[in-house]
Amino acid sequence: MKSVRIFYTKTDRMKFVSHLDMNRLMPRMIRKAGLPVWYTEGFNQHVYINYAVPLSLGFEGIYEIMDIRLTEEDFPLEEVLRRLTAVTVPGITFWKAAEPVKPTKEITFAEYQITFPEGGDFFPQFTAFLQSDSILCRKTGKKGKVREFDLIPLIRRVETAGNTLSLVLTAGNENNLNPSLVLNTFFETAGIRPPYYTVIRRMLFDGEMQPFL
Amino acid sequence: MDSQKLEQLLLSVQKPGRYSGGEIGSVMKNLSKIDVRFAFCFPDTYEIGMSHLGMKILYSQFNAREDIWCERVFAPWIDFEEVMREHHIPLFALESRDSIRDFDFIGFTLQYEMSYTNVLNMLDLAGLPLKSCDRTALSPLVVAGGPCVCNAEPLADFIDLFFLGEGEEVDLEVIDLYKEYKKNGKTKAEFLRAAARIEGVYVPSLYQVTYREDGTIQAVTPAEGAPKTVRKRIIHDMDRVFYPDHFVVPFIEIVHDRVVQEIFRGCIRGCRFCQAGFIYRPVREKSPDVINAQAKALCANTGYDEISISSLSSSDYTQLEPLLNQMLVWTEKDHVSLALPSLRVDNFSKELLEKINHVRKSGLTFAPEAGTQRLRDVINKNVTEEEIFRTCRTAFEGGYTAVKLYFMLGLPTETDEDLEGIAALGQKIVDLYYHTENRPKGRSVSVSISVSTFVPKPFTPFQFEPQINKTEIERRQQHLKYSNTSRKVNISWHDSSTSFLEGTFARGDRRLCKVIETAFLKGCRFDSWNECFRPEKWEEAFRECGLDPAFYAGRTRPFDEINPWDHLDYGVTKAFLIKENQRAHAAKTTPNCREQCSACGAACFGEGVCYEKR
Repeated sequence: MKSVRIFYTKTDRMKFVSHLDMNRLMPRMIRKAGLPVWYTEGFNQHVYINYAVPLSLGFEGIYEIMDIRLTEEDFPLEEVLRRLTAVTVPGITFWKAAEPVKPTKEITFAEYQITFPEGGDFFPQFTAFLQSDSILCRKTGKKGKVREFDLIPLIRRVETAGNTLSLVLTAGNENNLNPSLVLNTFFETAGIRPPYYTVIRRMLFDGEMQPFL
Repeated sequence: MDSQKLEQLLLSVQKPGRYSGGEIGSVMKNLSKIDVRFAFCFPDTYEIGMSHLGMKILYSQFNAREDIWCERVFAPWIDFEEVMREHHIPLFALESRDSIRDFDFIGFTLQYEMSYTNVLNMLDLAGLPLKSCDRTALSPLVVAGGPCVCNAEPLADFIDLFFLGEGEEVDLEVIDLYKEYKKNGKTKAEFLRAAARIEGVYVPSLYQVTYREDGTIQAVTPAEGAPKTVRKRIIHDMDRVFYPDHFVVPFIEIVHDRVVQEIFRGCIRGCRFCQAGFIYRPVREKSPDVINAQAKALCANTGYDEISISSLSSSDYTQLEPLLNQMLVWTEKDHVSLALPSLRVDNFSKELLEKINHVRKSGLTFAPEAGTQRLRDVINKNVTEEEIFRTCRTAFEGGYTAVKLYFMLGLPTETDEDLEGIAALGQKIVDLYYHTENRPKGRSVSVSISVSTFVPKPFTPFQFEPQINKTEIERRQQHLKYSNTSRKVNISWHDSSTSFLEGTFARGDRRLCKVIETAFLKGCRFDSWNECFRPEKWEEAFRECGLDPAFYAGRTRPFDEINPWDHLDYGVTKAFLIKENQRAHAAKTTPNCREQCSACGAACFGEGVCYEKR
């Protein structure tokens, strides 16, 4: 058995497809592609897939990662890419298949590009806001527990250009920070009606801020 | 339609995947090469509509023609409807995102009566006048098919043309006629007149209905050369009829998210409450080789890992074992699971159980429908208590511990004793479990009993019967609840409030068009959804229109009364339905089509079980 890491984009109409739905779409594509994949051996057997970091509904991503397992050790990686490309849908482009370098739990940061078509007049106010020593924020967990935490240590980098904002935030299994949470907290504090914006997750990084491979 | 604006708005509603389109297998075409644009509308949510097999078949079949582009349209859920109305977004087709207002055909499938207000709402959202007579141009033509068309009089004012029976052939004949009339610049009236001459086409505006003082129908008179009765269409050769080799595979989860493989149409049984058992006659089977090849292609092309066999009664398929043997060869290898719903208790064998044991094991579900032998004979269910016990024992010995049973409440001649029989049957099955030697050791049994409310439907022997009212439904539900003393038997039922309305539309006449329009204008839609159903609005609508739902649903109809659907011909004759009704009241059963022909009338189609060698 061998693990294969697949890199892909999730853009355009595909941003309306939630992670849960991706979880049904990908196995179907893999089955159509006829890849010799490994199935889990539980009560309901299914194609084994491990998604590195789920992407929020409505976001686009150009550095998306999933790991699968092949039952044929010498199955060529180019063939994996070729077959998936043959069955994919507009909005999902498979661009690389490789052997995993690091385990996905080492993903530490993600970079988001956030575009405000109506303009970024509030950007100076926003960057000033992020200079605060701490920004307390509430988040309701899955079990309804409200958790209070500080946003500041979770924000690694903030850059602005034109009407685009670039945020590098902690990502991964622990301390994953959603950019909408940062923005909504700001809009609420500043009393600004949240404008329409689009989000693209551009990159996933390891602990050394190197592209995750 | 401005895609960017739409996508912005979609992010503010629940499940944007319902409206975004672009699914795998959806068909895009070049408009310059298209003669006919067809909007296939399902008057309910995306998840329900996308599960419907008929739509999958016709969508693929229409799009297989180069000159037709068929697109899908569903009823927007209330949150998106609000957004659409606020931002003046007309109802659009999922593929092109074009407003359906300018399409050639707007075709609805009428699967259940409670979707009627959604039909009106969708026409309104498209920016079209609701009434057929107010839409004077040739296009868009508003057409409809599906089982409810067997009495679609409550929609007669709104729909230009109905398709009776199976659509694969007649739909295309009508489209071809339209193409010709459009090219020659003919009017809508000219087209409808010509279309009414095609077998299986019913143009309601060409029939005048007159009423007696007591509200019953005096006469239905055809005009302008329309036929006196309209006969439904059937497909003669099931092995050669079009079947898709690809489905549109949705991104979001739908109700039946799997390959659906049809194995036959019709049903040999003739259960007297069941409309499908009569209007889809005669039984016509597909061959195992054809079914196997179609299912295999669908799995390969969609990537689904689950197949559901579809028919009204799967275990009545004459070649079920050879079929399963063929299919299990590849389904197991490809990790595909096979679901076999609609099994009967009287021909459920150990061998069959072993076959379905190869696939995913869920609970077993059977439908005795009534609690006592007397009432099962009245409804012609032809299932005995011994058969139910034998099946349950087979299931328990095969490792099952959960059994689900379906029943109906409010059947003609039902007494409190019959209701007590439901609870008693549940208890007996629990006892049986503990008396089964080879039952799964150390585990408890669970018997779930689901009780729906009986609604008399046209073209069944019970079309003459009164439906019990809401108060009586609730009393009987309570009686049933208190008849059950076992904690291992769990009884649940459906809400009673929509049943009476469903019964009213099912046997309604065209005066109800006004009621449906009034209720729609009062805000009624999605009436089959508890969170949307507004019974008080419907009561107001009936009152304002001066009509009483009990006239349609609550009274015994004399055999010689003219019913609103009597000018439609589904093969089964009224004389046969009357005979069956009389046998029901005498608690006499009728053999199934394969045991003995009962001369129902469906032999007029010259096909199927009626001509099998016996």
